[in-house]
Amino acid sequence: MKEKTATSTPTEGRDQGMMIFSYLLAGIGLYGGLGWLGDHFWQTSFLLPIGMILGMAISIYLVIKRYGSAT
Amino acid sequence: MIPMEGGGYTAPGIEDFQFTGLFGTDWITKPMVQAVIAAIIVIVVWVVAARRLRVVPTKGQYLMELLYEFIRNSVGRDILGPGFRPYLGLLVGLFTYLLLNNWFGEFFLFMFPTMSNIGYSWGAVVLVLFIYVWAGFRKHGIGYLRKALIPEGVPWYLYIIIIPVEFLSAFITRPLTLGVRLFANMFAGHLAVVVFVVGGSYLLTQADGIVLKVGGGVALLFSILFMLFEMFIGALQAYIFTILTAQYISSSISESH
Repeated sequence: MKEKTATSTPTEGRDQGMMIFSYLLAGIGLYGGLGWLGDHFWQTSFLLPIGMILGMAISIYLVIKRYGSAT
Repeated sequence: MIPMEGGGYTAPGIEDFQFTGLFGTDWITKPMVQAVIAAIIVIVVWVVAARRLRVVPTKGQYLMELLYEFIRNSVGRDILGPGFRPYLGLLVGLFTYLLLNNWFGEFFLFMFPTMSNIGYSWGAVVLVLFIYVWAGFRKHGIGYLRKALIPEGVPWYLYIIIIPVEFLSAFITRPLTLGVRLFANMFAGHLAVVVFVVGGSYLLTQADGIVLKVGGGVALLFSILFMLFEMFIGALQAYIFTILTAQYISSSISESH
C-alpha cells in the first residue's frame, strides 16, 4: 500500500488496516470454525489448523484483491 | 491484599459496571439515564448553535464551527469525498454523542462512561450497520450485494469460498470489531481509574505505615492524571468510531474499489 493515489489521506492507512483486520478475522473464523466442526464430527484433530491457515490465505488473497491493486 | 481486621480490601471489578434500577423500576439504570441526557444535550446544543448564526461569530459559535468543520473536513470530505453531504449530520451527531458519553466517565455527577456497558456500544454499532447497508442499497440497488460480496478480478470458480468470507467480513466482523473496540477501550480505562481511586483511598485511610499511606496518596494523585489521559482516549475513540463509520459508508457507496 505504498503507492498512494492522489486522493489518499493520512487517515486512510489506519482505516484500511482496521477493515483488513476484519477480513482476517472473518476468514480465519469461518474456515477455522468449519475445521473445528469437521474435527468435532470425525474425531480428528488436524482440520482446525488447516482450516485456520486456509482461511487466512483466503483472507489475504481477498485483501490483495480489494486493496492491493491500483484502484 | 492487606489483611485487616473487620472488612478488608475488595478490588474493583465488573460489579462496578452493574447498576440497579432507579425510580423503583429495574430498567431505568444509570447508563441509560446518561445516554438519554447525552442525546438531549447533543440535540439542544446543536439546535441552539444552528439557530443563532452570525456573520461575525460569537465565541460559542466559533467553538461549534470549529468542531463542525473538524468533522466535515477530516472525516466527511477526506473519506466520503464529494457525496459526503447527506451523511454529515450523522457523522457530526455521532461524534459529539460518543464524545459526550465517553467524557461522562470523567465528569462529576456521572463518573461512568456510558459505552463501557457493551449494550450501548452495540446500539451505536447497529445504527451504523443499518446506515451503511442502507446507503449501499440506495446507491447501487440490489447490485450492492454483488459489489459487497464479490471483489473485482476474482475468477468465478472461487466464488463459493470467497462469498462467505466477504459476507462475514462486511456484515459481521466489521460491526463486531467496531463495537468491541469502543466498549473495551472505555471499559478498561474506567476500570483502571477505579482501581487507582479505590485502591489509593483504601491505602490512604485504612493501611498502617507511612509508606503505604504515601503510596495511596500518590495513587490518588495519579488517578487524576489517568482521568486526563482517559479524556484523551475518549475523544480518540469517538473520532475513530466516526472515521470508521465514514469509511464503511464510503466502501458502500463508492463506484469501484
